[in-house]
Amino acid sequence: MDTLADALDPTPQRNIALSSANDALPPDEGPAPEVPLPSGTGEFPVPEPTADDLWAEPAEELPPLTSERGRRRSMLRPGEGPMVVFEHVTKTYPGGVNALDDVSLSIDAGEFVFLVGASGSGKSTFIRLLIRELEISEGRMMVGARDLAKLHKGKIPLLRREIGCVFQDYKLLPRRSVYENVAYALEVTGDSPRSIRRKVPEMLALVGLAEKATRLPTELSGGEQQRVSIARAFVNHPALLIADEPTGNLDPETSIGIMQLLYRINRTGTTVVMATHDRDLVDKMQMRVIELAGGKLVRDQRRGAYQAGES
Amino acid sequence: MGRRFRFFSLEAIRSIRANAAISFAATATVLIAIATLGIFLAVFSWSQSQINGQKDKLDLRAFIKLDATPTDMEAAVKAVQSQSNVKSVVFKSRDQVLVEARKEFGGDILDLLAENPLPATITIKPDDPKNQQKIVDALAPLPYWLKDKNSPNGFSVNQKTTRDFLSAAKVLRWGAFGLMLILVIAAVLLIGNTIRLSIFARRREVEVMRLVGATNWFIRWPFVIEGLIFGLIGAIAAVVLLIIGKVTVIDHILNLSTSPLQQQSDSTIGLPPLALILIISGAVLGALGSGITLRRFLRV
Repeated sequence: MDTLADALDPTPQRNIALSSANDALPPDEGPAPEVPLPSGTGEFPVPEPTADDLWAEPAEELPPLTSERGRRRSMLRPGEGPMVVFEHVTKTYPGGVNALDDVSLSIDAGEFVFLVGASGSGKSTFIRLLIRELEISEGRMMVGARDLAKLHKGKIPLLRREIGCVFQDYKLLPRRSVYENVAYALEVTGDSPRSIRRKVPEMLALVGLAEKATRLPTELSGGEQQRVSIARAFVNHPALLIADEPTGNLDPETSIGIMQLLYRINRTGTTVVMATHDRDLVDKMQMRVIELAGGKLVRDQRRGAYQAGES
Repeated sequence: MGRRFRFFSLEAIRSIRANAAISFAATATVLIAIATLGIFLAVFSWSQSQINGQKDKLDLRAFIKLDATPTDMEAAVKAVQSQSNVKSVVFKSRDQVLVEARKEFGGDILDLLAENPLPATITIKPDDPKNQQKIVDALAPLPYWLKDKNSPNGFSVNQKTTRDFLSAAKVLRWGAFGLMLILVIAAVLLIGNTIRLSIFARRREVEVMRLVGATNWFIRWPFVIEGLIFGLIGAIAAVVLLIIGKVTVIDHILNLSTSPLQQQSDSTIGLPPLALILIISGAVLGALGSGITLRRFLRV
């Protein structure tokens, strides 16, 4: 049987070109009308969606945002090689625990990678190293052809602006509306209010939350909160998107909606690294799987399942 | 730049509104600290002016021989005036002294005497009370002075009183400085602590901001502006309270008695500069307290 990934476009492109169609949009008119919305979760069959069902909706590429005008110089230079490189990376916490132990791997730009492993296997450390919340103890680590060890502390925020982050617990700003949460990711970059007013509604439409822009996160369901978090992670068009158990708190059908969103983001050329425990999703996607156990890399499979030998 | 400032100010106002209780606590803390500081500053400057007033009264008098000729007197005055540590000189002839003495003691006793027994005097104000002895030492050898058992060298001066007074003034001044320093440190800690509470309540928010790629200053500015607003409001309220206190209590007391307090009250620190100092220090305290306290939450 053909795997799902075979059926999909194998050459994702970084979709940052200006689109004349979108240019024609007046800036403040809200969502681009032609954006297909994965609206809610009800469209997806339950309880056990097949691969075909999962992608029943045309997996169109996300439309380019009108905001790419005047894009700032990027910190990451994925064109110069793989997006992520680990060379014998070891992370030892104070106290002597090796959370990661001599891990070497490389993730190409545009890849979709699942990071699996039991709790305590080192997945979270892996992710926290990527956004430079932690520093490696030994080895070398590159993100977008940047050696993170050589990254000046003051540049860390710049790195993070180019890495979208989605977390299990959403990490939304609790007292800000949906709109403001997404806008904040643009405000930190110094984007102009005009440009923010244009980009945020587009992004919210994209994740199917155009109608809930003024709500507070606490007024949303878990799935909706995760969509806000994805909108915020993607609104800067990061080269790399990291998701740490994004479906960990969601029911299976909601998870599929989130998964689909991440997949479509990946199709715009964004590299996606997703740590997960969701066996069904991993098995169905048949994407690259990296498995950690006890801090060691125990499996790196081009098209893998959640557990070795299952595919 | 202007856009940024607007954004940060709006963020600060948003967070003040969202944390009303803590905002109130921080403002009240500033108010108490600044009011205490204000009262202290006023008392301190008043006591300083008192001391200076007393210092001015520390003068010495030279008595001229009863048989001195007008030429001698003139020469004596000139000699005193030419001294380097002398600030001012007032000469009183024997007649003038007699008139004053009459006023002071009543004329009857003096009328019994056939002759005016009082010497002409020169009242000398030194530039600094501690230079009294220098002046006396320099002038004593001159022949013009009336020497008797009250003024063995012709001068009336109470060295001991002067010394005591000066050292007391010194102790008072340094003591007040020390107290003020402690007060300021306590105010900073108090305000910093209250602001720490407010930041602690929002540390998750700060964490999220950092994950999204906000620079430390991008996170910090709203907090600094917030602290500035607490400081300003607290200090202005404190100044208003101080003014009310002055008008209702102190001025009232001063009006009841014609104590020297009243003449001195205008020589204390004026209200406008005091208010300005307090309001500025409130704002600075708030902003600094907030900005510094946030630092430990911004470490990577």
